[in-house]
Amino acid sequence: MLFDVDRIVELLPEMTQAFGETIYMIGIALLVALIIGLPLGIILFVTDKGLFLENKPIKSVLGFVVNVIRSIPFIILMVAITPFTKLIVGNSIGPTAASVALSVAAIPFFARIVETSLREIDKGVIEAAIAVGATPWMIIKDVLLPEAKSSIIQGITLTVISLVAYSAMAGFVGGGGIGDLAIRFGYYRYDNTIMILTVVILLLLVQIFQWIGDKAAKAVDKS
Amino acid sequence: MIQIENLTKVYQTKDRDVIGVDNVSLTINEGEIFGIVGYSGAGKSSLLRCINLLERPTKGRILVDGLDLMSLNANNLRKARLKIGMIFQHFHLISQKTVAENIIFALRAASTPAKEIDQRVEELLDMVDLADKKDVFPAQLSGGQKQRVGIARALANEPSVLLCDEATSALDPNTTSSILKLLKKINRELNITIVLITHEMNVVKEICDRMAIMQDGKVVESGNVYDIFSAPKNDLTKTFIKDVVNIDVPEEMLQKCTGQIVKITFRGDIAGESVISDMIQTFDVKGNFLHGLIEYIQERPLGMFVMEMKGDKTEIDKAIDYMSSQQVDVEVIRDVI
Repeated sequence: MLFDVDRIVELLPEMTQAFGETIYMIGIALLVALIIGLPLGIILFVTDKGLFLENKPIKSVLGFVVNVIRSIPFIILMVAITPFTKLIVGNSIGPTAASVALSVAAIPFFARIVETSLREIDKGVIEAAIAVGATPWMIIKDVLLPEAKSSIIQGITLTVISLVAYSAMAGFVGGGGIGDLAIRFGYYRYDNTIMILTVVILLLLVQIFQWIGDKAAKAVDKS
Repeated sequence: MIQIENLTKVYQTKDRDVIGVDNVSLTINEGEIFGIVGYSGAGKSSLLRCINLLERPTKGRILVDGLDLMSLNANNLRKARLKIGMIFQHFHLISQKTVAENIIFALRAASTPAKEIDQRVEELLDMVDLADKKDVFPAQLSGGQKQRVGIARALANEPSVLLCDEATSALDPNTTSSILKLLKKINRELNITIVLITHEMNVVKEICDRMAIMQDGKVVESGNVYDIFSAPKNDLTKTFIKDVVNIDVPEEMLQKCTGQIVKITFRGDIAGESVISDMIQTFDVKGNFLHGLIEYIQERPLGMFVMEMKGDKTEIDKAIDYMSSQQVDVEVIRDVI
């Protein structure tokens, strides 16, 4: 039988736990991405040529680091930074350990998205703020962030959805979560019920995040 | 007062240097409205943007109220900019902030005490006639209203200078006229020096005291607006002025005329009609108007007429001499056929 309802009931506790782990990993990584990736994206933008805090060395170094991390496939990154993960959380398996790798991947990803969002702002508005005599901090706080708000929210949606995919990959190396469930039951034990169910859960997760993100982005936009 | 001394701005592109502004020196007096006219690419926008160092000149000096802007560090330049307001063709308001918040942004840049902010916002919105749009977002405003917000924002910190970068070029004629009236009011009531760039001579005619015409990065002619309109010297200036005061007679019409054709310019206080009627009565010539108009520039009339004069050649010459002696400009466009 392809789809067994009893099996679902039987594995419900495990499913719930896996789901919780996935949300936990994504939550931590998203939080870290917001705290570090957002300022990083702002720095990447404002230090660019012709902008009000133009600084070539900073822009080049940060740009390079971001590109290096982004060019490593997540599954390799996860294994490669194991020593770092151990240093931070003490072990290298489980959802907490996986969230370290997810955070490391999410920071440059989100930073680039923020940078791109800021780039979409009409340069004239920034120029007008400079002409008015605003400080760099005021321009960031009152011009850049409000003007890019809607676009950044869409970027957060994109980051979350990428994190859903990455978190499933984390299952491969003992990271826990829905991906782990899919590997253990669906892949190693040919348990189609679990396989299909995990796919459905992931699909629903992505749909829900996208829907929330779109609504939020639209709600904040005044233009 | 703004002093622009030997200002040159060179733009470096990949394969060559482009000269935006070429060794321009201008003095803009306190309290006047100064217009800079030119086609796109003439360098007028670069020149204007150098005045508040939105663009840094390659060479030269900019002094605003005696302060050498290029010698200032970033923070002092920022403070100097508080006293130099600027408005833009496309307004450049913060779209995610309300009208009041856009103005508050400017007030905060000058660290205005919180308790004064509300009152200043009210005053500024009253001045630009937008008191009822306080909590509206820019997207809900018309072009003219957006520019009024731009003006309120530019005036928030009581600047001594207002720079207008094609401020009316995106507006329809009616709105343009109301914005120009507002600018004039600001100039007269607050004694703010206004520098505006435009490609529309009507704007200059309407509100400017003095003007400069730019071409290829250079100022080709500058002076009092009335003087330039009544006696333009440069060819480009003449072309621009034709936009506003055009008295070209159609070629077909000219061909039908056999007499001498003259262009007569009356300036200011001269009672034009009387000079012409005296001339007709005194000399044995017949006059026939082909074209004519009277424009009011800075509230002074400027009359221009094209007339066909028939009669004896010596009488015509005497008549012309008579008019010239009466402070009337007479230019012979075509001799008797």
